Amino acid sequence: MDKRPKSHGTPLLRVENLKVYFQGDGKRARAVDGISYEVHQKQTVCIVGESGCGKTVSALSILGLIPSPPGEIVSGKIFFSGQDLLKLDEKTMQNIRGNQIAMVFQEPLTSLNPVFTIGDQLGEAVSTHKSMGAESLKRYMIQLLSDVGIPSPEQRLNDYPHQLSGGQRQRVMIAMALSCDPDLMIADEPTTALDVTVQAQILELLRSIQQKRSMAILYISHDLGVVSAIAHWIYVMYAGIMAEQGNSDQIFRSPRHPYTQGLLASLPSLSKRGKRLYSIPGSVPNPAYKPTGCPFHPRCPHTISTCRKEYPNMCDYGHGHMARCPVLYEKREHTE
Amino acid sequence: MLSFIGRSVIQKTITLFFVSIVSFLIIHLAPGKPSQVNPMNPKFTPEILERFQKEFHLDKPLYVQYLYFYRGLFTGQTVSWKDNQSVFSKIWGRFLNSLPLFIVGTLITWTLSFPVGIRSAIYRGGIYDRTTTFLSYLLISIPGFFFAYVLIIFVVNHFHVPVIGMETFGIANSSIPHMIMDRIWHLLLPSVLGATGGIAILSRYVRSQMLEVEGQDYIRTAKAKGLPPDQVHYKHAFRNALLPFVTMFGLILPGLIGGSVIIETIFSWPGMGRMAYDAILARDYPVILTVNFVSAVLVLAGTFVSDLLYLVVDPRIRL
Repeated sequence: MDKRPKSHGTPLLRVENLKVYFQGDGKRARAVDGISYEVHQKQTVCIVGESGCGKTVSALSILGLIPSPPGEIVSGKIFFSGQDLLKLDEKTMQNIRGNQIAMVFQEPLTSLNPVFTIGDQLGEAVSTHKSMGAESLKRYMIQLLSDVGIPSPEQRLNDYPHQLSGGQRQRVMIAMALSCDPDLMIADEPTTALDVTVQAQILELLRSIQQKRSMAILYISHDLGVVSAIAHWIYVMYAGIMAEQGNSDQIFRSPRHPYTQGLLASLPSLSKRGKRLYSIPGSVPNPAYKPTGCPFHPRCPHTISTCRKEYPNMCDYGHGHMARCPVLYEKREHTE
Repeated sequence: MLSFIGRSVIQKTITLFFVSIVSFLIIHLAPGKPSQVNPMNPKFTPEILERFQKEFHLDKPLYVQYLYFYRGLFTGQTVSWKDNQSVFSKIWGRFLNSLPLFIVGTLITWTLSFPVGIRSAIYRGGIYDRTTTFLSYLLISIPGFFFAYVLIIFVVNHFHVPVIGMETFGIANSSIPHMIMDRIWHLLLPSVLGATGGIAILSRYVRSQMLEVEGQDYIRTAKAKGLPPDQVHYKHAFRNALLPFVTMFGLILPGLIGGSVIIETIFSWPGMGRMAYDAILARDYPVILTVNFVSAVLVLAGTFVSDLLYLVVDPRIRL
C-alpha cells in the first residue's frame, strides 16, 4: 500500500479530540475518550480494535446518531469539508446524512426494514435528497443494484429483505449508501456477519467502487486480515483512545504499540501451525471502570510503574507513524 | 392460500364442537336448576314444574338434552325458558342496542390510543410522555362505576342533558334533529366510559411497541439515510409497531356480543351484557348457551381474520 499522501491538503474528514460519554446507573462510561483522526479524499482509512473499544460510537457520532440520552458528545470537533458537524442543526445534518456521508452497517438483516421492498428502501435517500422522477428513479435503482453485482436487479426491486441472501442484503445496503453519490462512506464492520467467501466478494466490491467513484471510505473492523487488504491508512483503537496509527506497512511490519503487537501476534498463520495461538491476556476494560494511566497497562507485557499513573503521549516514529507508548519508544532509542 | 382457508375452517369447526360440549357441561355443573330458581313463586306448583321439565326435556339424560339444544340452535327454534320468545330474535334486538355503544367505543379507543402512544414513545421522558403515563395509570386504577357517577353528575349539572337510558321517554313524538341529538347525548357517556379503560391500556401498549421498534437497527439505517423524522417514525417505525395490533384487531370481534354489564347497568342500557347477566341469574340455559356459542364463533372468526390480516401487513408471512 502506498504511503500517506502528504500533498492532499485539508482532509475530507478531521475528528479532533472527540469524547463521547454514556451516562447510566450513576456511572459515566467513557466510550470514546479523546480520539483524533483524519480521512483524506479517495482514501480508505481503517479503524481497528476489539469489540467494545468505541469504534462504532466514534463512527455514529460523525453522523450525529448517538442515542441521546444516554449518550453525549462531551467535547471535540468533527470537521467535514471544512464545517464542524457538531455545530450544525438537525435539519442541516439530515441533509448531510445519506447525501454526503453514507453508512453501511454490520448486520444486513436487521439493518433493512422487513416490511418494505428493496426498491422502496433503496429509493428513499435519493427522493429525499435529490429530485428525480419515478421512471428515472427506477432506472437509476436498477443501475445501482447491478453496479453492486446483484443479478436480475429489476425483479429484486419488488423483493423484501428476507427473500435475499446475507451477501445480497449487504450489497443492497452498499447500493443504498452509494445512491446519493456520497463523498464519504462509513462502513461499520460490513463483512462481520457474512461468511468468508462472501466477505471477500464484498471487500472486492468496495475496492472497485472506491476506484470508480473516487470516494473516501472509513472502514471499521476488528479483523486485521480484512484491514490489511484494503487500508491506505490504519488507526488502532483501544478502550476509547487511539493506540497507534500508520500505513499498513508500518502497522503490520513494525508495530510500535504493545496492543498492536498483541493483535498481530494473535493472528493465525501458516508458520504458526501446530503451535498454541497467542492471545492478549485479559479483556477490554468496561468503559465505566477504566484503569488509570495507560488503559492498556493491566494487559501489557511492558508495563512499568509510570504506565499506571501517567496517561501516555503519542510518540512520533516518522512518516506519520505514531504510537501511544513512551516505554517502547524509549527502548527503541536505546537499542538503535 | 385456499388450502389454508380450508384447513382453518376444518380446525375451527372441530374446536367449536368441543367448545359446545364443554360449555354445555359447565352450565349444567353450575349449582341451581332452571326449575328451582324461584321456588317461592306460588305459580310453580309441582304439576307445572313437571310439565316445565317435560316441555324442555329436562328429565332426559344430559347427552339427549345436548342434542335437543343444538338441534334447536341450528334450526333456529331455540326459545328462552323464561318468556318462550325465540332466542335469536331476543339476541338480535339486544345486539342492535349494543352495537352503537360498541362501534363508538371501539372507534374512540383505537383512534385515540395510537396518536397518544406514538407521541409519548417519540418524546420519551418528556412532559407529554409523563403526563399521559400518569393519566393512563389514573384511568386504569379508577373503578369504572365510580368514574361513571362522577361523569354523570358533571355532565348533567353542567350541560343539563339526559344521559340515562337509550333515549328520553316520549322523544319519538318530536322532530328528527331533536331525536338524533337526544340519541347522541345518550350514547356519548357510556361509550366514552367504555373507551377510557381501553385507551389507557392500549396507548401504553402502543407506546411500548413503538419504543421497541425505535431501537431497531433499521430505524438507525433510516436515520442514517437522512430521512426527515416524520418519515422515520411514521413510516419505518409505525408500520412495524403495527404488526402485533393486527392480532388484537381480530380479537375485538367477540366484543360485539359481549357488551358490558357494568356500563349497561349504570346507564340502564338494554344491551347484550345485561341480557346475558339476567339470563344467568334466571338459569335461562338456551339464552346463555346461545350467547356463549355465538361468541365462540366470533372468537374463532376473529383469529381467522387476524391471520388473513397478517398476510396483508407482514410480507414475511406466506400461507
